[in-house]
Amino acid sequence: MSISLRGVSKRFGQFAAVTDVDLDVPTGALLALLGPSGCGKTTLLRIIAGLDAPDRGQVLLDGRDASLWPIAKRKVGFVFQHYALFRHMTVFQNVAFGLEVKKRRERPAAAAIAKKVGALLELVQLAGAADRFPSQLSGGQRQRVALARALAVDPELLLLDEPFGALDAQVRHELRRWLRRLHDELHVTSIFVTHDQQEAIEVADHIVVLRGGRVEQVGAPAEVYDAPASDFVHRFLGQVNEVEVTRRDGRAYLGPLDITEALAARPSRSADAVALIRPHEIEVGRAPGGWPATVLAIRPIGPIVRLDLAADGLPAHAPLEAEMSRDRFAAAALRIGERVTLVLRQWRVY
Amino acid sequence: MTLVALAFLGLFLALPLIVVFSEALAKGVGAYIAAIGNPLAWAAVRLTLLVAAISVPLNCTFGMAAAWAIAKFEFRGKSTLITLIDLPFAVSPVIAGLVFILLFGTNGWFGPFLIAHGMRIVFAVPGIVLATMFVTFPFVARELIPIMQAQGKDDEETALSLGATGWQTFWHVTLPNVRWGLLYGVLLCNARAMGEFGAVSVVSGHIRGLTNTMPLHVEILYNEYNIAAAFAVASLLALLALLTLAGKSFMEWREPELRRTPAAPSVRLHRERS
Repeated sequence: MSISLRGVSKRFGQFAAVTDVDLDVPTGALLALLGPSGCGKTTLLRIIAGLDAPDRGQVLLDGRDASLWPIAKRKVGFVFQHYALFRHMTVFQNVAFGLEVKKRRERPAAAAIAKKVGALLELVQLAGAADRFPSQLSGGQRQRVALARALAVDPELLLLDEPFGALDAQVRHELRRWLRRLHDELHVTSIFVTHDQQEAIEVADHIVVLRGGRVEQVGAPAEVYDAPASDFVHRFLGQVNEVEVTRRDGRAYLGPLDITEALAARPSRSADAVALIRPHEIEVGRAPGGWPATVLAIRPIGPIVRLDLAADGLPAHAPLEAEMSRDRFAAAALRIGERVTLVLRQWRVY
Repeated sequence: MTLVALAFLGLFLALPLIVVFSEALAKGVGAYIAAIGNPLAWAAVRLTLLVAAISVPLNCTFGMAAAWAIAKFEFRGKSTLITLIDLPFAVSPVIAGLVFILLFGTNGWFGPFLIAHGMRIVFAVPGIVLATMFVTFPFVARELIPIMQAQGKDDEETALSLGATGWQTFWHVTLPNVRWGLLYGVLLCNARAMGEFGAVSVVSGHIRGLTNTMPLHVEILYNEYNIAAAFAVASLLALLALLTLAGKSFMEWREPELRRTPAAPSVRLHRERS
């Protein structure tokens, strides 16, 4: 199912949760609504589901205006952050619920229901847990039951609110990959809400970055990461070093770099410019001609090494952070206190 | 400290219970059975059961509806509704009874109209039912509101998204989620409905065999120095109290969440206003 939002706005009292959102989601997409808390991502998801009504604007499902349709008519499966499993029902009964409540004419026979539920439990790798109650399951298992229950009614659109928010890191990582594979198998148009940029980049094929109830940028994960539309998106997707642009004799500099042309080409026209550089875009070496700096700290983290660097001309309390692979670090044999030179492979000014 | 608490409990709870049963049986088992078998006593028991049988289901329905509305929806006048539900806890039952006399009595606002149309409310069964309902108004709603609020709307919204109708959602999701809380509220509501004295005393008129409930009958017997008979009927009420306590403990054992809701109205008023 394809989804289009046209000028959707929603207020809660004085608070504008969502303002003038236009969005197109093609059929079969796996889209992430990404943003900090309070950016309106859950509200937007609930509006698409039909759990909240927009104050203004339209929700189009497959091109038809569905703004006033109740949730049942929209053919959506909704998975809540805390799963909302029916606690007095077994796993089997939970998954079968959507089939059991169908009108007598449409309801499958008991054997057909049992078969379908069995297949779904197989799909979510919980075939052995059919007779257990939600309280006897782990967080990850509950999440998968909730997903199976949503899939039981053959939704054309799957909506997930912070699907991995309440899980620990290890389970999170496994479930993300699993969800990705599941989507590749089922091709159900899916939208999930997250505040975790890593999760959005890893799982989704489209990312919508929201800020203060408005869409900041839409694009593929690589696009949003490599070509952020604003400093907000740049900052939100991954770590950044922030360096103030200095001006001398009518020209602009980033460290020793003359960036007057780049500054003139930037989209924003604000007076004070800032350059954002990701840690892995800073190359640390000893070749002359770079930006001189001193190594302040070395932190090996698994396969990578992070370095704190005091670059000449920058305030001492804000060292630059650089990132390199363990191998490169070993080859360079850097030591704390050593004088090095930095090469900025990439940076952006806003 | 434990010793002091136990002594206190013994003095104020266990001792009176023992006294009730020993006084009831003071003139022997025969006298006890005769006192309970007395037609007037039986009429009181029947009336008490009838009043409870009418007022408890009605208040149960009302309490469910009010708790559902308050816990699951946002609307204007919500806090006013909560205050109104608390009102019977705040008003003395005697005042409540007097209000019904003022409204429906011979010289009351609607009295002449009702008499002209041959309807008796005050000094008759309808008045007793009304007074009982007023007094037991908050029990079910008060028990359910915190439980429903804690559970939120996710379960219901999930059910709706899966294609369930409003009624199916209520019946298969909301009701099972609060079943123990509901039963608990019904139990307390019933105990109060059967034991209510003040409000019922004002509106009943104490007509023996007609408008005397059990608590009123106990008082009449006691005032007539028919101590053994008074305690015999009282022992039935005490038995009800014991059954209620047993039921309450069972439910708290089944649903530990209930233990957090204190039964004392005054404490509750304070807590839930905040």
